[in-house]
Amino acid sequence: MERRGFLKGLAGACALTAVGAPTLSLGAEKPKSPNEISYEKALEVITNGKGAKDSDKVHLVVPEIAENGAVVPVKVTVNHPMEPNNYVKSIHILSTKNSNARCADIFLTPANGKAYFATRVKLGGTQEVVAVAELTDGTFIKAHKSVKVTIGGCG
Amino acid sequence: MAKRKSLIKIKPKKYKVGDIVKVDFIVIHPMDTGMRKDKKTGKIIPAHYINDVQFFYNDQLVTKMVVWESVSTNPYFSINMKITEPGKIKVVYKDNQGEVNEKTKKVKPKKG
Repeated sequence: MERRGFLKGLAGACALTAVGAPTLSLGAEKPKSPNEISYEKALEVITNGKGAKDSDKVHLVVPEIAENGAVVPVKVTVNHPMEPNNYVKSIHILSTKNSNARCADIFLTPANGKAYFATRVKLGGTQEVVAVAELTDGTFIKAHKSVKVTIGGCG
Repeated sequence: MAKRKSLIKIKPKKYKVGDIVKVDFIVIHPMDTGMRKDKKTGKIIPAHYINDVQFFYNDQLVTKMVVWESVSTNPYFSINMKITEPGKIKVVYKDNQGEVNEKTKKVKPKKG
């Protein structure tokens, strides 16, 4: 009886380690981003649930094919006057498939003279880059373009 | 606190009062996402990224940025600014580990 019990215990322990080990290694391979948020959720938070309209006013310049996803140049210009009571309040740059969809939020003032912003972002794979602009009258306009990434930038 | 190399560039080099110029800001920073592993030790590198950048022109806030970890290593930010008087441009940047640094650049508009 003792021997049988010991063997059972041993088998159980083996099964546990066998099940436990792969899940552990999987967990270590894909650590979660501390600020994980999906694109839809991020857009909802930014626009307060109003949503954004596609517009020709927002000019988004990104490369069609990015060889290295770690450095993707992004340039945004909004054709809108920058007067004291009528200006572009903010520009938000989002990506559709990164684990944290938000890249940068820029809050402008009339002292900028022109609504322009450029930076470089990391993209984890082929996806779309979206630029959302908020105007002083409370409306949101956006533009999007897809970028083909041959080597991901998050690994 | 680590001292970081940073650079402010005003483009074009020659500008007058009333011109709208491009202000580029570059800083040497790792921008770790917290999702990457150290290849030697196998441990996850903790997240370390710039999360707040503010552009001041003569102590007046012109642009404020909230930055996330998806911005590339050694980040580059470029905005436009309207030159109204001689003075200085100051950029204050903070990261998620509590580092606060700043960089200033003199504004000298050409006459005429």
